[in-house]
Amino acid sequence: MDTKKKILLIDDDKDFLMATKLILEKGGYEVFLAEDGKSGVETAKSVSPDLAIIDMMMETWSEGFNVVSILRTSETGKQIPLIMLSAVDLQGPYQSFEPPENLPTVDLVLHKPIKADELLHQIGNLLKAG
Amino acid sequence: MEMGENETTTRILIIDDEESILDGCRQALEKSGYQVITTSVGADGVRIARDKRPELAFIDLKMPGCSGMDLIELISKDMPEIVLIVITGYASIVSAVEAMKKGAYDYLPKPFTPDQIRAVTKRGIEHRLLKIEADGLREEKERMERNFITFVSHEMRSPLVTIQQYIESLKMIAGETLNEDAVGIIDRCDKRIQSLQDLIEHWLDMSRIDKGTFSENKEPIIITPIIERTIEELTPLCEKRGIVIESDLKQKPPKIIGDQESLLRVFSNIIGNATKYTMPGGKISVINDFDDFYVYVKVTDTGSGIPQDKLPFIFEPFFRVKGKQERQKGSGLGLTFSKKIMEAHNGKIEVSSKEGSGTTFVLKFPRLYET
Repeated sequence: MDTKKKILLIDDDKDFLMATKLILEKGGYEVFLAEDGKSGVETAKSVSPDLAIIDMMMETWSEGFNVVSILRTSETGKQIPLIMLSAVDLQGPYQSFEPPENLPTVDLVLHKPIKADELLHQIGNLLKAG
Repeated sequence: MEMGENETTTRILIIDDEESILDGCRQALEKSGYQVITTSVGADGVRIARDKRPELAFIDLKMPGCSGMDLIELISKDMPEIVLIVITGYASIVSAVEAMKKGAYDYLPKPFTPDQIRAVTKRGIEHRLLKIEADGLREEKERMERNFITFVSHEMRSPLVTIQQYIESLKMIAGETLNEDAVGIIDRCDKRIQSLQDLIEHWLDMSRIDKGTFSENKEPIIITPIIERTIEELTPLCEKRGIVIESDLKQKPPKIIGDQESLLRVFSNIIGNATKYTMPGGKISVINDFDDFYVYVKVTDTGSGIPQDKLPFIFEPFFRVKGKQERQKGSGLGLTFSKKIMEAHNGKIEVSSKEGSGTTFVLKFPRLYET
């Protein structure tokens, strides 16, 4: 029986998905990828991951937040740890970006690029706690 | 004689109470292929201008029951794309000048010949075309600048982030199988990408300062803890390079108005620079002090120094004092950034240097008087 924990990774940058997938697999996880919010939500439904990592800024600035909102209100998503990824410099031109009302809570925000050991360490902690 | 009303015909409006002037202008201008609209009632001028949108309008300054001056003011504000030319009967330079201050482009003194009015018209039309072109270019430039910042921040940074992530995963999956040389190469790649990112950050910061959109949370602060934090961050690097960093800091200097984050970066830049240009065995000293006007921070190193003839240029973007060892790597924008930040604090940055024996930077901030 496969006891590997399942991680869902949602990001619109294919290369980033690939690079991060390799790290996660090396860390002993089974990794599922989605390139946009919609397929991310569908994949979450079908594979019931133990943890999901969502890029904040995909097609639109709020797509990541929307995915988190949907996951948090779904059966599979409300229990699991969620990590949000951000490459956005909030000092910059995105200053004017206002996060949606009732910002859904994630368990952790990590900034890209993420150190491999940091990523695995944080995931380990979150899965242990959950 | 009536010219065809096609799209390309230039329309000229003439507002003058003297019918003979209107006739004269019409004849002279229609002969050159312009479409001429006339009115002898000043008050109708604005309505006709709105209606017909002429490219050019001649306006008599002196009309009964209507001030040509008011007309000029109104039309130039309301329809700035219309080039206004004053017809002045009493050849008064004073009134012509006043009209031009209110938005007229040129003036035509009465009496005038057909050739004169045609020459003034031609000049006015050329002026209009140049103005339209210049306005267009300016708008385009502003739009490009706005887009460029957004473009740089996303399109240039995200591939770098992805490359760094690949390097992370490469180290992870192939780490043990790589020999020392390969690991060294990967580390160098990583460092170069990091400096490219720093360059983009610095450059973005500067365009934000220039555009006045740099986020500064200015508040009354004591600078000492910021200096201490900078020294703390740079100490491991100094130890590694065999440089002594010493400080003599006043714990309670007067407060200044400052933004902690950007000042931290200024101090990191200045002290970090000192570490780059100081040889092993050298020394960097950091002190702070104040006088009646300024709170200042002085950073002195025993490094290679900056030649006198190079000193005026060190705050220019990408200017570098070439060291013998050529190992100084940086964005080339550190000092430019620091100077701009200091200016944003109403402060000053001063430098003195002696080649071969070291450099001193003094950062001066206006002191805050607490009441």
